[in-house]
Amino acid sequence: MIASMYLLGARHRAIVISIIALITVVASFGLTRLEIDTSFDSLIPNDDPARIVYQRVMGEFGSDNKTIIYIEDDALWSTEKLTALQSLHMQLKRIEHVSRVDSLFNLRTIRGRTTGGETTVKAEAVMERVPQTPSEVVAAKRRALGNPLYVGNLFSADGRVTAMILTVKGSEDEKDFNDQVYVDIKSALDAHDSNFARLFQVGPPRVNAEIRSSLIEDFTILGPLSAFVLIASILFFMRSPLAAAVPIITSALTIVWTFGLLGWIGTPLNILGAMIPSLIIVIGSTEDTHIMSAFFRGLALGDKPGTGSMKDMDGDPRHRAIRYMATHTGLPLILTVLTTALGFAANLFSSIGLIQDFAVASTFAIVANGVITILVVPFLLAQFGPAKITSDIEREKIYTNNLPDRIIATFRISQDRFPIYTLSLTAILCIFFTYQASHLYVTNDPMSYFPEDRPLVQETQQIHKELAGIKVFFISLESLTDKAFLEPSNLLKLEKIQDFMRKQEVFDNSLSLADHLKYVNREIQGEFAQLSLPKSRQMVAQYLLFFHRSELESYVSHDYRRANIVVRHNINDSNTLNLYVEELEAAVKQIAGADFEANIIGENLMVNQAAEDLMISQVKALGLLLALIFILMSIMFTSFKGGAIAMIPSMIPIMLMFGIMGFLGIPLNPGTAMVAVIAVGIAIDGTIHLLARYNELCRSTADYKSAVNQAVKEVATPLIVSSLALSLGFGIFLFSNFTVIAQFGALAAATMLISIFANLLITPIIMARIRLVGLYQIISMQVDESVLDQSPLFNDMTSYQRRKAILISEIHDFAPGEKLIEQGTKGRSMYMILEGEANVVRRDGEVERVLAQLAPGQIIGEVGYIRAIERTADVTAATAVTALRFDYERMQKDLKFFPNIVAQLNFNISAILGGRLADVLAEQKS
Amino acid sequence: MQAKTMIIAFLLLAHVSASATELQNSEASGRALMQQVYDTHQQYPYVYEEQSMVLIDREGNRETRKVKLYSRVESNLLQRILLLFDSPKDVKGVAVLAERNADGETRQAIYLPALGRGMIENSGESGDANFLGTDFSVENLTGERLEDYIYRRRRDELINDKMYSVIDVFGKEADAEQTALRRHFISQENFYLTRTDYFDGLGRVRKRQSSHDMAQVLGNMWRANMMLMENLQNDHQTLIKVDRRVFSKDYVPSEVFTTEYLYANSHAEGLIPDDLPDEAAEAELTGELEGELAP
Repeated sequence: MIASMYLLGARHRAIVISIIALITVVASFGLTRLEIDTSFDSLIPNDDPARIVYQRVMGEFGSDNKTIIYIEDDALWSTEKLTALQSLHMQLKRIEHVSRVDSLFNLRTIRGRTTGGETTVKAEAVMERVPQTPSEVVAAKRRALGNPLYVGNLFSADGRVTAMILTVKGSEDEKDFNDQVYVDIKSALDAHDSNFARLFQVGPPRVNAEIRSSLIEDFTILGPLSAFVLIASILFFMRSPLAAAVPIITSALTIVWTFGLLGWIGTPLNILGAMIPSLIIVIGSTEDTHIMSAFFRGLALGDKPGTGSMKDMDGDPRHRAIRYMATHTGLPLILTVLTTALGFAANLFSSIGLIQDFAVASTFAIVANGVITILVVPFLLAQFGPAKITSDIEREKIYTNNLPDRIIATFRISQDRFPIYTLSLTAILCIFFTYQASHLYVTNDPMSYFPEDRPLVQETQQIHKELAGIKVFFISLESLTDKAFLEPSNLLKLEKIQDFMRKQEVFDNSLSLADHLKYVNREIQGEFAQLSLPKSRQMVAQYLLFFHRSELESYVSHDYRRANIVVRHNINDSNTLNLYVEELEAAVKQIAGADFEANIIGENLMVNQAAEDLMISQVKALGLLLALIFILMSIMFTSFKGGAIAMIPSMIPIMLMFGIMGFLGIPLNPGTAMVAVIAVGIAIDGTIHLLARYNELCRSTADYKSAVNQAVKEVATPLIVSSLALSLGFGIFLFSNFTVIAQFGALAAATMLISIFANLLITPIIMARIRLVGLYQIISMQVDESVLDQSPLFNDMTSYQRRKAILISEIHDFAPGEKLIEQGTKGRSMYMILEGEANVVRRDGEVERVLAQLAPGQIIGEVGYIRAIERTADVTAATAVTALRFDYERMQKDLKFFPNIVAQLNFNISAILGGRLADVLAEQKS
Repeated sequence: MQAKTMIIAFLLLAHVSASATELQNSEASGRALMQQVYDTHQQYPYVYEEQSMVLIDREGNRETRKVKLYSRVESNLLQRILLLFDSPKDVKGVAVLAERNADGETRQAIYLPALGRGMIENSGESGDANFLGTDFSVENLTGERLEDYIYRRRRDELINDKMYSVIDVFGKEADAEQTALRRHFISQENFYLTRTDYFDGLGRVRKRQSSHDMAQVLGNMWRANMMLMENLQNDHQTLIKVDRRVFSKDYVPSEVFTTEYLYANSHAEGLIPDDLPDEAAEAELTGELEGELAP
């Protein structure tokens, strides 16, 4: 069936190409509908209950979409600079979507002075107009820096730095409003840039704009670069322009299909989506490399034995090679596409939208690439492929290249001479790196997506250094009692929570209703009150009259039942942040007491808290994927041992990769978290090819060691080529604008290199110690059941057991006249004829006597199988014969791999011999 | 060429000259109209009001305060206002004393009972700043001094089928290019200042004050029983609803403007005859109005 699918493209070229073209055209229309998502919303789990609380708190206490304009100048407090600042303020106010600009031009301050028992309170604007004289400037500066609510938030303590805070409001219909706001703000800043030593903006509009531009840049650079690397590596290793062109064509089609589908189903492109074209090119090419390699092998073999049955071929060598390719790579291709797709699909378990969207896109891409490969590659080869390989040199090129040969030769030394040491050393290495993996930490912070040296990150640090971090979260306390936060005792709770945070020494600052009241209390009561809370409820209520509601709306609800502490910080590591927030949460709950519902909430916090979900979902995904692969491999090779062995080359790179991450301090983030599942899905491909080939070779030899060597030799080139191409392809991601993608690329590349070592050094050592039978071979075996029914060798065996027994044995073809057994020789093999007829001929000198004629199902050489005695007659093929050979020593070896079947076979052989003995005895008696 | 230049120069000069004349005319007309507004609805020297002050935030949440307003204009043109909070109970007794003398100098003091004796001088804030958490400024309540501003008349506007005279208000030093501070809309039916738009530095409306539930209190004199101030920049509103209004000297004795009165919390018990029926107050008003209209 698989071979038939393969041959569709070669046999029905017009139909297949029409269908492919139609799908491609439909998909290309979807490309125009593709959207880019740069919001942080997709970093928060969809089912996060904190979302509802967050939305309520945002609704009540205001949007957290705020952009900070950082202004630094040593001469900031001068008429000239303040005039420029005012001009900037006015220009920023004009920007559409900017609903509010908080700067020193609209700040109010309350200042109290007590002289002779009389208190004077000045509630005044920090600056109603630009001061014109030095003394006015000094007074304005004093007003600004005298307000503890502003220092650290809007002014640095030394007054060299000030900030303008822009509140941005966009409607749902305007998806790109953040981009436009960023551009408008930038244009305003550019116009004033020469006036100040430093002037820049940081906020969601800029972050979104930078993500978008970086994403587009990644798209335009990474894809073509991957294609270039792919072509170069294939040309280097396979030296065939066609082998390089095929993956490019299949990848291009897959890219159109994938992004077309995303456009049609409305799944937006996010930062991880930037990897998809490269992944398609790189991963898709590995399959193409394997099947192209098989095609060339088929061409090189021509019509020699081993190219499979050619009965239905039309004589075109390309068709024969395609059939060879289909026979030898069909099942592995399906399996590898399945396992790779499973690897990507495992990411669907993530609760983070960003990863889910990526999982959908990448899984579809892998499946689509598989379909396209099966349909298009045979077409291309039938149409444009070479008809023959002309020289021995070229044949040699197909199989080998110096580098793979050298690698294999190096590995073989270890395999042959020190297999136990090699395995032990690998085990030690795995233990060491597993220990290193215990240092692994998780982060999901969007700022960590950017490299440290990026101006955005540097400028964010600058704001943190001079003012306070730009990241905000809220501590919200809610009481059931009306006007609860007019009570000093409850305000004290806010103060205690803030004191606790100060002791934690990780958050930059916090602001609450308590701070506002302490400030007014100090100004009205005089210095003796310091920054202490008002003593009575009446005092609180009366102080609050000094504030406009809009000044307090971020800190307390209209009914004073809910209060909000606004916390600013600059922690970029989810692990640290979550740790301290957890500690804070416990303290808040304790301080707030049972009468209050306490929540710590913020978009940034939810994003960071999703890091734990990220870890859990990735562990789940990895566990499930490994389990699935284990089951799949166990079924495919009809053995749990086979399943377990297939896992080893995948497990080793994962252990090493996590160890490297722990050792180098690379965090688990939305990019790196995916490496494990994707690497398993890809690394298993090489193992499948290796095991499938080994399994095939075992059918014609009893020397498993040489079968292993031959399998490694044949698979090594495509495996090394594809792994190196994958490494180089993933390495391309190092050029990404996003740290998460660069880290993903570096780790995936390292994992691919490690997988070469695992597949070609470790797997062969283990593989030589096992014998596998493919389920597909059992199912697809063409045998005459009546022959098996008649054969006493298969008595009391199910059809499945018979087929498996056949696959365990060696299968041999004999031409007419060829001897299966030669008289006078010693041998411990037994044959069962599957097809054709043979004669048992006794030679006595010159005289030959046909003792018996053997038909399908009959057994010969069973005595020699039991004891090494001299053969008493020749067995010669009368027609073309296909026979199964059961070698004694091999069967004893296989007893441990297939105990039930081999035991039953031995039992049946005993029964046959017993029957013979009984016949002989009966003959003698008579 | 030269002739052409001269013609253009002449036309420009003529235009500038016409504009200057137009400006002068509009200023004269604006000021005159404002004077007419003031003359028609001139403040009665003794006004006592019981008000409900409703603060409405962007979500529509309301906070209601009950206040009493005492307004008195002395013979030396000293205008005194006392705003006394009655509820909520936590702010009962809070008082704002404001004065403006004939020269336009203002003084404000706040009394917070929770702090005990002592007035807190409130100074430094511009006249247009919000007070006590409302969207009104003291000036919004006391009215502006015509001599402090320049009034330029604009084209009349038809709003809701009613014609309004429109006047832009500028600072005293304003030049022709300067943005107006606010824009008054005066009903041509009764010369009442029905709506005022306050502008920010960019000429955008930041606050809008409007009068509703108009009542003709005497002759051509009208009063609004409801005043709404909408803060368009932060979606906040303050509504002042006059629950009771009495024009009577007896309701606004001089003692209420003293600190002793406030310290003694005498207002809480009600020095003022709160229980006077409105009819009586109206009768009182009718009887005394004529003689006491002009300070």
